[in-house]
Amino acid sequence: MNNPIIALLGNPNVGKTSLFNRITKLNQKVGNYPGITVEKREGSLTANNKTYKIIDLPGTYTLFPNSLDEEVVFNILVDQQHKLKPNLIVVVGEPSNLKRSIILYQQARELGLPAIFVINMIDEATTKGIQIDIPKLESLLKTKVFLTNARNGEGIDKLIKAFDSIPPLYIGNFSIPAQYVTPVEEAKKLFPLEHEYNTWQYLAKGNVEFLSEEKNNALESIRKQHNLTPQVLQKEESIQRNKNLEHALSTIVSKDIDSKSVTNGIDKILLHPILGYLIFFGVLFLIFQGIYNWSGPAMDFIDTQFADLAAYVQSVLPAGPLPDLLSNGIIKGIGGIVIFVPQIVILYIFISLMEETGYMSRVVFLMDRWLRPFGLNGKSVIPLISGVACAVPAVMSARNIENSKERLVTMLVTPFMTCSARLPIYIVIIGLVIPDTKFLGFNIQGIILFALYILGILAALGSAWLLNKIIKTKHKSFLIFELPTYKFPDWKNLFLNVWDKSSSFVFGAGKIILAISVILWALGSFGPGDKFKNAEEIVTQNNPSLSQEGLDHEISSYKVEHSYLGYLGMVIEPIVEPLGYDWKMGIGLISSFAAREVFVGTMATVYSIGDDADIEDDASKRTILSKMRAEVNRNTGLPAYNLASGVSLLLFYAFAMQCMSTIAIVKKETASWKWTLIQVGFMTGLAYIAALIAYQALK
Amino acid sequence: MRDKSSLDKLKKGQKAIIVDLNSNDIPAKFYEMGFLPGTEIEVKHIAPLNGPICLNIIASNSLIAIRKSEAKVIIIDPK
Repeated sequence: MNNPIIALLGNPNVGKTSLFNRITKLNQKVGNYPGITVEKREGSLTANNKTYKIIDLPGTYTLFPNSLDEEVVFNILVDQQHKLKPNLIVVVGEPSNLKRSIILYQQARELGLPAIFVINMIDEATTKGIQIDIPKLESLLKTKVFLTNARNGEGIDKLIKAFDSIPPLYIGNFSIPAQYVTPVEEAKKLFPLEHEYNTWQYLAKGNVEFLSEEKNNALESIRKQHNLTPQVLQKEESIQRNKNLEHALSTIVSKDIDSKSVTNGIDKILLHPILGYLIFFGVLFLIFQGIYNWSGPAMDFIDTQFADLAAYVQSVLPAGPLPDLLSNGIIKGIGGIVIFVPQIVILYIFISLMEETGYMSRVVFLMDRWLRPFGLNGKSVIPLISGVACAVPAVMSARNIENSKERLVTMLVTPFMTCSARLPIYIVIIGLVIPDTKFLGFNIQGIILFALYILGILAALGSAWLLNKIIKTKHKSFLIFELPTYKFPDWKNLFLNVWDKSSSFVFGAGKIILAISVILWALGSFGPGDKFKNAEEIVTQNNPSLSQEGLDHEISSYKVEHSYLGYLGMVIEPIVEPLGYDWKMGIGLISSFAAREVFVGTMATVYSIGDDADIEDDASKRTILSKMRAEVNRNTGLPAYNLASGVSLLLFYAFAMQCMSTIAIVKKETASWKWTLIQVGFMTGLAYIAALIAYQALK
Repeated sequence: MRDKSSLDKLKKGQKAIIVDLNSNDIPAKFYEMGFLPGTEIEVKHIAPLNGPICLNIIASNSLIAIRKSEAKVIIIDPK
């Protein structure tokens, strides 16, 4: 065997990922399991004269899967043909919850997999007053037991040396209860070569992904014939194993009387019926502040760097379509991706901190009651909050919601949350159409901005409520989760998590944004017919009195008007006219379907002030604002951005699904074009209707 | 025999022993996370307005939260 596969298996919150980081010395990569988007953490380790492939399986309490993450574990362990079938399982437990980890261990062994057992966070045994008789535990488990502390590296070397060990033969602890012997024997005939326990697992699982439909149907008919449900079988196994272990462990593990725990003290405040909520909203407020205030300088820096780079490339390369594609299409496209990195990093630092310390599950506890009426789950809080920064990572974070319907609804409504890409548009349009005056001592522009955030939340909850009425489910909604003890964050974990998320944003979603910006560039840089080709002469002839600079702006504006993008804008003009927009705004809308933030750049091009308008910068904000303010809608003869069309635009951007990356990620996560298209149609339809009503009422 | 009650009726700070889970479609996760007949539990926190309840499973000293709707089917013997 060249590259033995070692898989880490264990409950959540046992420090499994920290252990993984220690073993692989951070020599690892994060990908997806084939076909599904459960995160796969894989690393390599060279030791004992060979290279091991180390897999960090998603944390799970049980082999019987309730969520997508757990399904992966089941498939890897039970599927005999799985590509990642491990050569050795390292079951990771922690001192205070050994029983749960041992059950996982037993299940793995009875499936015929060699396994060793690790008690991580061994320092907690002392602080919590737990004594474990290791030799006795080893003889119970029939394997070596290792003690580690992944935070300081204690015991890791010893563990690595054992990666080639072959544990002694194992005889199952679980005996199939008498009343189920016949059905299991019948099922066994379908799988003559497999362990009896595998057969039991198939029977107790429901639909098994990697088995043929024929075998799944045969299993189902055996269950039907004997009047069995997977739940009953699973219950039977759990109860039997727990009972046996309870007895066996009573002579192995002993515990001092619990000292008063710190966690309980903190929870009295953080889970307090009133104080708990106040603190949670305080934390949310801090996250918002962080995302908006702290990211500014970094974003400006990135923006200038890319603008300088584009200008530099333009200056050294000869003029022509290809260098233009490089400087204006590709470099600016990449800049458009990288500029979001500071916000995403800040958001993920907060989210990882909340997860690492154990606060996130307290938030789930506090919020479940408020989200349930809308068909959501306490765990939906995480995607919804993350959606304020960017819907792409937010949709991904819905994975740990067990109930498939609640997970689907969460993913479908998350893009309504006001993401950071909407902010530049809101700022520009509010600046144009809302007077900068005070109302009851508050700035009206600020109130409107705040109202738009509230509107996003209401739209998300309202559509969740609607979807909840429409989607039928056979699975009952339930919620069960552990509130881990509070811990100081493991900074290495935190750093890695932030790094993984930000880089997967840049490389994953980035590819799409890049492709779209190249297409937009092409549509805007080429046009049919002579008007586009001879733009310079035509403009120069018509405006003989303009300065060179003014002339250049006029020319680029004339070119856009007669480019493919311009004609596209004219084609959709009849559609956007009832909303109060002209063809130029139409182009902005079309390009916004790639990503909303493209709007401001496109408008800048269209209104001929060059395409490097940066609204963070006050001087250019004034120019783009004054240009836009002076713009007249040729259909109505009114200013293009008046109260009616401005409110209509704001509403359109608040609701419409205008983000290729989000569409791509929703398709990937739901694995369904149907739901993705329903989402795009619903959001954009709602946007159109809301904008139409607003414009017609206000004009 | 004392009165049997269900878990959702307990008040904060009360302890009880789980007698049975009176449902066949409750996911196995409940058993695996420690809701087994004979287990001693204590109600630690209750979220307001019918929110979830947070229980301490005394033997393993772990905190588990579940909804009221599932707590209803967990039959207990109050202490």
